[in-house]
Amino acid sequence: MGLYLHIPFCIRKCNYCDFLSFPADYDHQKAYIDALRKEIVLYSDMYHNEYYVDSIFIGGGTPSLLNIGLLRDLTKELTSGFDLAKDTEITIESNPKTLNKEKLEAYLEMGINRLSIGTQSFDNELLTRLGRAHSAKDFFDNYSLARKCGFLNINIDLMFSIPGQTMEHWKETLRTAADLAPEHLSFYSLQIEEGTPFFQMKEEGTLVETDGREDREMYHYAQTFLNEKEYLHYEISNASRAGYQCRHNLKYWSMENYLGLGLGAHSFMNGERFSNETDLKAYIKAGGIAEQPMGKNTSCIVSSPFTVWNHVNSREDDISEYLFTGLRKIEGVDLNEFHARFGESIKEVYAHNWNQMERYIREKYLVNTGNRLRFTKKGIDISNTILTEFIF
Amino acid sequence: MNSYQQLIRNFCIIAHIDHGKSTLADRIIENTGLVSHREMKEQFLDNMDLERERGITIKLQTTRLAYRAKNGKEYIFNLIDTPGHVDFTYEVSRSLAACEGALLIVDATQGVEAQTLANVYLALDEELEILPVINKIDLASARPDEAKLEIEDIIGIDAHDAPLISAKEGIGIEEVLEAVVEKVPAPSGDAGAKLKALIFDSYYDNYRGVVIYTRVFDGKVKKGDVIRLMNTKKKYEVTEVGVYSPGPMPVSELSAGEVGYICASIKQVADARVGDTITLDQDPTEEALPGYKKVQPMVYCGIYPAEGEKYENVKDALEKLQVNDAAFHFEPETSTALGFGFRCGFLGLLHMEIIVERLEREFDLGIITTSPSVIYKVVMNDGTEEMIQNPSNLPSPLLINHIQEPIVKADIMIPKEYVGSIMEICQERRGKMLHMEYITESRVALHYEMPLNEVIYDFFDALKSKTRGYGSLDYEFVRYEKSNVVKMDILLNKDLVDAFSMIVHESKAYNRGRFVCEKLKQIIPPHQFEVPIQASIGQKVIARETVKAYRKDVLAKCYGGDISRKRKLLEKQKEGKKRMRQFGSVEVPQEAFTAVLKYDDNK
Repeated sequence: MGLYLHIPFCIRKCNYCDFLSFPADYDHQKAYIDALRKEIVLYSDMYHNEYYVDSIFIGGGTPSLLNIGLLRDLTKELTSGFDLAKDTEITIESNPKTLNKEKLEAYLEMGINRLSIGTQSFDNELLTRLGRAHSAKDFFDNYSLARKCGFLNINIDLMFSIPGQTMEHWKETLRTAADLAPEHLSFYSLQIEEGTPFFQMKEEGTLVETDGREDREMYHYAQTFLNEKEYLHYEISNASRAGYQCRHNLKYWSMENYLGLGLGAHSFMNGERFSNETDLKAYIKAGGIAEQPMGKNTSCIVSSPFTVWNHVNSREDDISEYLFTGLRKIEGVDLNEFHARFGESIKEVYAHNWNQMERYIREKYLVNTGNRLRFTKKGIDISNTILTEFIF
Repeated sequence: MNSYQQLIRNFCIIAHIDHGKSTLADRIIENTGLVSHREMKEQFLDNMDLERERGITIKLQTTRLAYRAKNGKEYIFNLIDTPGHVDFTYEVSRSLAACEGALLIVDATQGVEAQTLANVYLALDEELEILPVINKIDLASARPDEAKLEIEDIIGIDAHDAPLISAKEGIGIEEVLEAVVEKVPAPSGDAGAKLKALIFDSYYDNYRGVVIYTRVFDGKVKKGDVIRLMNTKKKYEVTEVGVYSPGPMPVSELSAGEVGYICASIKQVADARVGDTITLDQDPTEEALPGYKKVQPMVYCGIYPAEGEKYENVKDALEKLQVNDAAFHFEPETSTALGFGFRCGFLGLLHMEIIVERLEREFDLGIITTSPSVIYKVVMNDGTEEMIQNPSNLPSPLLINHIQEPIVKADIMIPKEYVGSIMEICQERRGKMLHMEYITESRVALHYEMPLNEVIYDFFDALKSKTRGYGSLDYEFVRYEKSNVVKMDILLNKDLVDAFSMIVHESKAYNRGRFVCEKLKQIIPPHQFEVPIQASIGQKVIARETVKAYRKDVLAKCYGGDISRKRKLLEKQKEGKKRMRQFGSVEVPQEAFTAVLKYDDNK
């Protein structure tokens, strides 16, 4: 199974961000980590004999802001509570300017073997527009430092469709990134989410969203360019060197078990989805009453004071999720596995709208090899429309 | 005439929409002590929610009231309400025929309106005693003397002692009631003669079948009688006779001069048509009452179940409405774009809007309505004639000798400052001016002949919009006339969408085509390919727009395994898609069908 740990701290909030994060001093960090450790204890007893952990993702927020001592307490709690596979992928997310030699060496020493750096762009003007708290130089400094310290698996997050970003900017961004030869690259289209400063600016008319055609052109360019640079495009927004796909993120797209711990974290365990408290004070308070480890086979919504929502997937939920998550993978879904898992072929399950599927196949948005179903390049561009067909 | 009959007063109220008819009716009911104030819903006579909301009366209500006059005698008032709109002229004329008098309400701030005038003329045709009443005198902008003058000038009846009232404030109501006693004649008629009674309204009741509202002119009718309807020639046994006061109250009989209801196990209102004459089957009267007319729909449109709505549900609802509305017709039809649905006939545009709204609100149905069309008379090369209600059914131009369209006489009343702009919109709509007259110094009546096709399209909206709501309109069918009309089709991505087809005059086709294309361009969301929108006549494209390609349709971000969020987004998108109709590979939001019909001030 995979473990996700949410660290909701940032220096400042970016203009496009609607994730859970806040600025925090040491005392706040400590109070939060104490509660998070309580949550780890709560679950470790329940799961440690049944599952072993082979991926850990420390995400945020900006986990690299976390005090080293607190992070060490946290990882110790994890390693003592759960059974970890030998080659467990352990990722920490970071932002440029927040890393230094001391931190990087400590990460490696704790067993963290994958570093993700969210730089988004190498253009200072665009970084300012996005509201990022760092410059391009901060990124280059941190990146080379991480290499020097011995990180062998680094991801860089890049963003396109930033208002004001031209195709030339984007090409330059990709070239620069490829020159650094990271093992993994994420490339996201900016989404303007409600409640963010960008959303407000868009409403006021001071921010013009990149149009759909340009968005797709940038995406298509990235697909082609990264392929030329021998990156394997393996998920809608992710590419990597062979063997360096992110094991943890693939669990999200393959209906595998993952336990999300920390503020607002989401889990999927044994066909049940559940998620945590999103209010920081309430989360910390829950830590105060989380005394007893949970017994086996107890419902987390009842036994965990951190959990606020759950949903036991129906067969239909499982089927639709298997497809709308699975098709994010460029290789698509295994139709034989589908049949084995759900006792019916995909065509039987979707008999009511299979005509529509066949139209998508005929018009080359989807490919059905008999063994696998996947999007074509142009299928990805309208993936949401196609995926809605799999919702019951 | 017996003494009882002498105490009866049958009257109605004529007023323009918003001039206070229903409010006055409420006050009259209140002041006659029939219903206590506490029990009253606002505006008693308008009993459909829709009517109350729109402030118009669609179905007639009638009420028997008792009034003790200043002379000490107790009178029986039968207050017959009339519908207040252009589409229901015939219904109005029949309810007028049931009366001896009419209260003419004129708003002291607005003066006489076209619709009022049309109804006054109907009342004069029925030789009714007309009692003018000036309402809303409590308002600061009231000009009662001008209103009186208008009545005298335009209608030519004496208005110098018209009661000045405020129905809202309850001022002058008694004066009105006394005027009814003194001026409205008691009904004539012979209770000993053979039965002769007029159907002036009917409605369907789930328990009693059709309830007929009737005015007895001669003779008597009671439970157990076998009645004959002289025009439909059908026979029924009377199961109940009664009066509304205001709820149904059975009585032993209804005799000459009285107004009341009859139940006779009649299955639908079409069998008891307004205007028909009731007599006794055993002892029939020789001659039916004059004025029977089977009302015919003038305007047609397609009604289709929206995506996710069941055909059967729509059919059931239409059947229920038809049971209660003899003027409403429907039959099944098929559209390649919209599938199975119905072609529906209405008296006019308002009638259509009311039915559509009732389907949506009372029956909670999702429906799509297509462009309304009039009935065209198509004369074929071989001399035969076809009546076409659906543009899609227009035969090939090669087979057609010519097409005729219905022409109406339109009477328009407006404040004089709008004469120029209204003449312009009449001109644009192919109107031919018959004459124009100054009703008063500030108000003008324009009389036009105009194709009905133009009237139903957006004329009423345009009139209202250009005159800030002060213009009013009345129209009636005059004849069919040869016309250069053509069928205009709309193509989306090169595919013809039949539900958008319409018949337009050749001279208007270019503008209409451009307007529809522009509207659709605004409404159709971007696809992954360019969507050409074309308006064409035959093979010739007369207007074209393009919906530019591309929209963001990929969820690029993943958020710590929050699949439920992704699911919600996809569900929302799917929901949005449900409200779309798929035409070939193009998705069109359902609003598109109504949007292309809307009057656009800026065009």
